[in-house]
Amino acid sequence: MRLLTLLALVLLGLSAQAAEKLKVVTSIPDLADLSRRIGGDRVEVQSICKGLENPHFVGIKPSHLVAMSRADVFVQVGLSLEVAFVPGLLENCGNARIQPGRPGFINASDGFAAIDIPGQVDRKLGDVHPQGNPHMNLSVEGGAVMAANILKGLCAIDPAHKADYEARHAAWTRELEAAQQRWKKLGEGWKGRKVCVYHQDYAYLIRGYGLVTLGSVEPQPGIPPTPASLASLIATLRKEKDVCLLAAAWARRSELEEVRNQAGVTLVELPNMCAGLPGTESWIEMMDLLHKRLAEAFGPQKGT
Amino acid sequence: MNHSILSASALLLGTSALFGQGSAFQTPGMPRQVYGPPKEGTSQDNSGQASRFSSVFNPAFSFVGDIVGDYRSGGEEVGWNAELRALEFGAQAWVDPTAWAYFTAVSDGESLDIEEAALHYKGLGERHTLRVGKFFLDFGKQMQTHIHELRTLERPLVLREYLGDEVSGTGVQWDHWFSANDTTAVRFSLGAFSSLLPEHEHGEEEEPEAEAEVAGRKSIGNLNYSARVTGFTDVGTNGTLQLGTSARIVPDFAFVDEDGGGEVGGLDNTVWGLDVTYGWKDETATKSFTAGLEFLVNSGDVGAELGAAPGDAPIVADGTRTGWLLFADHGLDPNNSIGLQISMAELADADKTEALEIEAYYTRYLSEFHRLRFGLSTLDVDGADESFRAAVQYTFFVGAHGHGVNW
Repeated sequence: MRLLTLLALVLLGLSAQAAEKLKVVTSIPDLADLSRRIGGDRVEVQSICKGLENPHFVGIKPSHLVAMSRADVFVQVGLSLEVAFVPGLLENCGNARIQPGRPGFINASDGFAAIDIPGQVDRKLGDVHPQGNPHMNLSVEGGAVMAANILKGLCAIDPAHKADYEARHAAWTRELEAAQQRWKKLGEGWKGRKVCVYHQDYAYLIRGYGLVTLGSVEPQPGIPPTPASLASLIATLRKEKDVCLLAAAWARRSELEEVRNQAGVTLVELPNMCAGLPGTESWIEMMDLLHKRLAEAFGPQKGT
Repeated sequence: MNHSILSASALLLGTSALFGQGSAFQTPGMPRQVYGPPKEGTSQDNSGQASRFSSVFNPAFSFVGDIVGDYRSGGEEVGWNAELRALEFGAQAWVDPTAWAYFTAVSDGESLDIEEAALHYKGLGERHTLRVGKFFLDFGKQMQTHIHELRTLERPLVLREYLGDEVSGTGVQWDHWFSANDTTAVRFSLGAFSSLLPEHEHGEEEEPEAEAEVAGRKSIGNLNYSARVTGFTDVGTNGTLQLGTSARIVPDFAFVDEDGGGEVGGLDNTVWGLDVTYGWKDETATKSFTAGLEFLVNSGDVGAELGAAPGDAPIVADGTRTGWLLFADHGLDPNNSIGLQISMAELADADKTEALEIEAYYTRYLSEFHRLRFGLSTLDVDGADESFRAAVQYTFFVGAHGHGVNW
């Protein structure tokens, strides 16, 4: 009898502990990884995107709605990256705790210096994002900003465990600093290397490493290529040598193949979020793979 | 002289007092007229307050244009035509922290209709919405949307026949959703309206026919009602399955011959629907497949024909009619999709004439904000010539838009 009572107390204690966990929902797996790293066993994390999607076209599923309705914290990148699904989810989930302006809403790009902010917001520029290029999760500097915002958000909503969050954030930051050294070393010879892109996902890396963009398969962000725009791009690329075509898994294969075959460029498939491609379970691993693939494509002997 | 000086001084003093208090012609409660150019970095009216002339609280606006060119053979209309089917203007804004409002006005170039003008009140608590105003009937998967938002050129035959091309009622609707488990959401809605009968299509000249009408004033038991329950669940990693059932209840209406003057009242009609939809998106969210089935039962007083002579009462058909629609849509990528829709309905005549409509289409999104659609359709009505239609539809979207949950 005493054993049963003890067992019941242990189970009750465990369930109470489990119930105390913060339910965190993130828009993309990069944010889920950072939330787990900083939140540790204090958080239960679920990501809406799985890692291979074009984040501009993600649809709303019932499980997303249910998760959002129960969440204590919602983390998004912002900069209009998730405009296809986050506004609809926030509007329909009926969860006041995670609405913008509430402690449970974390905008992970807060304080990040976005690039390509349009001077004039106009659809002539394509599927333009008024606050600038939203793919800051693919910036070498982006990880630290996302992590800092998650840390700030978790501390605000759960101040009793602030010290735990800060300790885990500090440990992750040390890993990041080591990784940034690796990436810096890999990217040392990349300045001036020529690339072509499918979409503007990798604009931060391109700018950060001084790569030269010769063109884009999408003539404007989010605008599908026309035969004329593809022909023009291919003609431009044919005049160049050693060009890498950078694309995520969601990019339309037929157009990538056409550009590769007709222009003689090297197609480099890169991750656009973590957890999509094998070996990219964490944000740092994803950035490692991204740098590794670029390094393989550029080749060490081609460094300037 | 002194008198003149005193008068002039009094006039000047009075004028300065008037300037000090605002224009002598200012209506109480109206903003004061502002003189001189606005200061840099201030609002236009220069008063440091948002006034009726400020644009800072303007709603978000949107435009939609929908143009159709087609060729028809067989049936009542034959030949080529092109028309501006709809120019839609919409606006939406938060009213206060608990409510947002919107309206949608549509013109076909000849008339202007307010299709929707409603307020969503969210103050009842989590996942409850109270909708008040004029808005589309919540029935099945396709009646809530404007025609230009459909995946096909027209609303399916069975919905047009039993409910109407576009049905918006003025009234109130309460809806709520809850989770049945981690991957399933269940939603229901209940509505009461002054009328849920279809409005006359704007700009179209139609054959004379008996029109269904509800009384302007009625008892609470004679309001028109709508109800819908739907469950929506994940299927595997990339799929969703939705089941729903809907009803539109019109407990008291009349068929009226507007030209001849005949009328039959005390009629009732109920349409029930059952819908199943399966959706799938690939792991990159760029390829998709959607298929669905809706089955409808139209019962009670279902239709009427004009009486034999002017002034005669319309001849009412009653009983039960059934119909269905089936569709499959394949999104090849975010910009291209193909699909097929088949719809069958027993018509609301005494003979229960059957009609079958088949439509195949290809849709090309030139970008997210404008698209071209090519459609081929046939309509086969028992006892009549089969009609054929080839159409091109161009639709553009400008301004604010959103991606909600398709319940």
